Amino acid sequence: MRNDSERTASAGRTASADLGPALTETVVVAPDAPRRRRRWSRAVSLALLVVGAALVLSFPFIAPNPYILSAGVVILNYAVLSTGWNFMGGFTGYISLGHAAYFGLGAYGTGLIVKYLELPGFVAWVLAALVVVAISVPVGIAALRVRGASFVIVSIAFVLILLLVFQSWREFTGGSEGLIVPRPFPDLLRPEHHRAFFYLFAGLLAAALVAWWVIDRSKFGTALKSIREDEDKARSLGVPTTRYKLIAYVLSALVTGLGGGLYALWFGDLDPIFQFSILIGSYMVLMALLGGVRHLFGPLLGALIVGIALEYFKLEFGDTQFHLVAAGLLLGVVVLFMPDGVIPAVGQLIDRFRPQQTSIRDVSAAELLEQNRRSDASATGAADAREASGEASTRDASDVSDASDPKEVTR
Amino acid sequence: MHVTHSRRRRAMALVALAATAGLALSACSAGDDGGSGGGGDDDPIVIGVSLPLTGDFSEPGKGVERGYEAWAEIVNEQGGLLGRQVELKILDDQSNADRVVSDYESLIAQDGVDLVFGPFSTRLVVPSARVAQEYGMLFVEPAGAAAEVFEQGFENLFYAAPAVADDHYNYLADYLLSLPEGERPKTAAVAAMDDPFAQGTAYGLRDKLEEGGVEILVDEVYPPNTTDFSVIAAKIAESNADVVIGGSQYQDGVNLIIALQQLDYQPKVAAFSTAPTNPEFAAAIGNQTEGILSPTGWSPTASFPSNVEFVEKYTEIFGNPPAEDEANAYTTGQVVAAAVEAVGCAEQGECQQQLIDWLHENTVDTVVGPLSWDEAGRPSGAHLIQQWVGGEIKIVLPEDAKEADFIYPKPAW
Amino acid sequence: MSGPLFLQSLILGVLLGGLYALLAAGLTLYFGIMRVVMIAHSAFLILAAYLAWWFNRETGLDPMLSLVVTVPVFFLAGFAMQRLLVSRLKPLTLTMMSVLLTFAIALIIEGALGFIFTGTQRRIQLPYAGDSLDVFGAQVPVVKLVAFVLAAFALLSLYLLLKYTRFGRALRATIQHPEAARLVGIDTDRTAGYGFGLGLATAAIGGTALSLDATIYPSLHWHWIGPLMAIIVVGGLGSIPGAAIAAMLLGISQSLLQIPLGATWAQTVFYVALFATLMFRPQGFFGGRLAQRF
Repeated sequence: MRNDSERTASAGRTASADLGPALTETVVVAPDAPRRRRRWSRAVSLALLVVGAALVLSFPFIAPNPYILSAGVVILNYAVLSTGWNFMGGFTGYISLGHAAYFGLGAYGTGLIVKYLELPGFVAWVLAALVVVAISVPVGIAALRVRGASFVIVSIAFVLILLLVFQSWREFTGGSEGLIVPRPFPDLLRPEHHRAFFYLFAGLLAAALVAWWVIDRSKFGTALKSIREDEDKARSLGVPTTRYKLIAYVLSALVTGLGGGLYALWFGDLDPIFQFSILIGSYMVLMALLGGVRHLFGPLLGALIVGIALEYFKLEFGDTQFHLVAAGLLLGVVVLFMPDGVIPAVGQLIDRFRPQQTSIRDVSAAELLEQNRRSDASATGAADAREASGEASTRDASDVSDASDPKEVTR
Repeated sequence: MHVTHSRRRRAMALVALAATAGLALSACSAGDDGGSGGGGDDDPIVIGVSLPLTGDFSEPGKGVERGYEAWAEIVNEQGGLLGRQVELKILDDQSNADRVVSDYESLIAQDGVDLVFGPFSTRLVVPSARVAQEYGMLFVEPAGAAAEVFEQGFENLFYAAPAVADDHYNYLADYLLSLPEGERPKTAAVAAMDDPFAQGTAYGLRDKLEEGGVEILVDEVYPPNTTDFSVIAAKIAESNADVVIGGSQYQDGVNLIIALQQLDYQPKVAAFSTAPTNPEFAAAIGNQTEGILSPTGWSPTASFPSNVEFVEKYTEIFGNPPAEDEANAYTTGQVVAAAVEAVGCAEQGECQQQLIDWLHENTVDTVVGPLSWDEAGRPSGAHLIQQWVGGEIKIVLPEDAKEADFIYPKPAW
Repeated sequence: MSGPLFLQSLILGVLLGGLYALLAAGLTLYFGIMRVVMIAHSAFLILAAYLAWWFNRETGLDPMLSLVVTVPVFFLAGFAMQRLLVSRLKPLTLTMMSVLLTFAIALIIEGALGFIFTGTQRRIQLPYAGDSLDVFGAQVPVVKLVAFVLAAFALLSLYLLLKYTRFGRALRATIQHPEAARLVGIDTDRTAGYGFGLGLATAAIGGTALSLDATIYPSLHWHWIGPLMAIIVVGGLGSIPGAAIAAMLLGISQSLLQIPLGATWAQTVFYVALFATLMFRPQGFFGGRLAQRF
């Protein structure tokens, strides 16, 4: 029962957050988009943004020693990766557990271009990003032919296959010995090196956030979100779902790949087991989900929490595998209890104490409709889903290959 | 939309603040107990180490850990270094290169350790040596024997063992090639883990045999996480080569030998790196050890004065005699200790360069004999060849150091 | 490639394929019942292998005796997992969220194994580890044969259970059409829970079989989950016979390809098959409609 009410509340909450400003033009594709009035001034939000940015920019000077600074670089890298992941996961709802593939490709691409073409590090970085895009297009086409279960399987398989290739093709990649990427700034001492890369990562993160924000407010973004909410309806309403999904996927791969390339230039030693690890991919998912996939700063917040927690576990429980248990428990809790992330959960908590909130809340027609639909659905609960999935399974072919099945639920 | 953002942003700012504050706090506290005040005469000398206690290299990693612990205990028993007790701070790098770098970074920059010892495995030595180099730290390591370690231009690195990986089997290769025409092995099969050290040893022997006219029939590489050796073994068995060379760490060597036994393949010579010197090796392969060969940089029975003491004290502490990994780690401790005692300091800063300079110019007496290094940190000795004879592993080559006669051809396993 | 080596590899491939078949059957069972991709399946496999190893170390008895405990315990764990965790997920996002949930469980198992048993590689030392039988000039390792027989026996039992018992019919009805199954009086929720339990029980048996002749370490499950997922897609998601056939074929291919390609590249056969399946026949090669009728 508690579940049902949560579900209703969260649906209203998130939809409003995403679709607020764009509502007038997107009623059609987002039938459940409600509106809730807010009265926070733009000035306050801008001020907070400035404070946040100032805090990030001043971090290298606050950091007490180079190790803390390097931990900050790692966390920013995580933030870039999970924000990159969120171009796909957040907008379209397709959860890829294999984004470490693009992290690794970006990193190895940069390293290999420096090694074989002897180009400067940052030129190699840009070229590697183009390579990542070139690879992500065919992979995206193959992966997006299928939905749901198969998409996840393909995403994991892609990482595993790259791990195999980069481990085995030792003449080219260096195999298990790894690859050494020369420093782009050979003259800098280690702490200065960290500082330079801290700002580079911050810049990349800012660029990724701006891009996400722009898409979020665009028609394209709304169309992507309509795919997330109901891919078949979106398709029937004329959204070119396949093309849009592919664009989102490639963008997502690009940002992740750029993060990987920068990591290669910063860290210098690439090891296939780390670069192509499912664990890195799952951290991206965990960070984005924890923060809130529907929110601009969700992945960043998640990266802060998870990144700090990981460093903490490493320092405190250095010689145990305890961090895996902690990461697993956290992921399980997020999935079961707050699949929309911390931001909406906190947001709702604040809403409760907001003085200007009247006891009778505004409920739009669409929201009401949604609430009714949800409560109807919850009466039969899981049964409906299984009915639908059963139906889908009797038509296995359409289940995985084709979006024409109107009862498709294995999204 | 901007409204929700602002709330998010505030939450974020709080978190960021908390994070910065928290990290700063933890840094301070760690610095306090980590002994950043290295100048004090009574403070212990803190030595930072990162080791693979879990993951692919956990087996040898733990051996190295025991060696370091034995060294610290023996040194402290005798009054410490420069009159100060030594204290080890050991982190687990899970056999990951990214971990090993951040481990050394945190040990040096955050905990302010006075000295560092090297990790296990070549793959981890290179990245960690770079961190140490960039902080100007002396880096003596017990396990990075592969050629590439010495080709990175490190000036702070010293390998604390008698010979680099490629030269481990030199005595064996010379012996086999000196056999009369009729007895000399004609074919060989190689299977090596995809690891610079394991490959270095195996390929050193392979290349020398090939030069001497031995035909290489099988040459396989397997990833470190391989657990199923049945098909590799099938290929080797099919070739029926006279010599089988295993570039192994520990468990992979055991698995390969069992798979070869299952296929009833009987070579004349079976040489495996490191695995056969492990104390659990005999039991793990069902005690069918007779005639198996392994190179070693160290022998428990060698008569160097410190070695006798090491074996005795180690056995007292741990209840069983040390193996090669433990001895290499102990050697590392001895090398650093010699430099510290000679130069008279142990802290970060200029002292480290003095230690490095001293080691480049001097010879250190250790449990593996006297060691000296070239400018890249390569030691200039050779490894002994051991063989399982009558249920014990004994030195069979070179002639002047042998404890038992070389058994050739190897009896069936 | 010579005749004896081919025969040898073929036999090794069949023995390996049997284990794959059992494990893939469990994995595809969950998918059939609830559209759940159970990432933790292979983590439970390794857990069972660890329990067998631990049992053998503590008691000195044959590790296969540990099945007496692990199979019922795993069955209950699977039942509890379905009833308490998976059924809590929202139906609309069930597939995606169940992937993450089971992924989390896999991480917890891996971490706990590392915490308790450390990351050291383990191997059961059996008195007959190095023994083999001579079959037409090929050597068949006894331990692998035992593991294969165990897996084949479990798979056959699973088949008979699903095909001929009342519970099996209820489970198949739940897979095919839950609504109709409810109409004829089947408690589909409970049945789904039992189905999950059954899936995990196969992991217990598979893990024990694996432990007889393999080295185990906590993160080993990542090396199993990839091939297993490829197998169930190639076999047709939800089809148990499809999974078994695909497992056998891919296991043999892997074993034979190791001769020309080496151990590492041979593993790619699973992923090549996976991508080929998705490109040309996304419903799988052996499943599809037939799969639903078992």
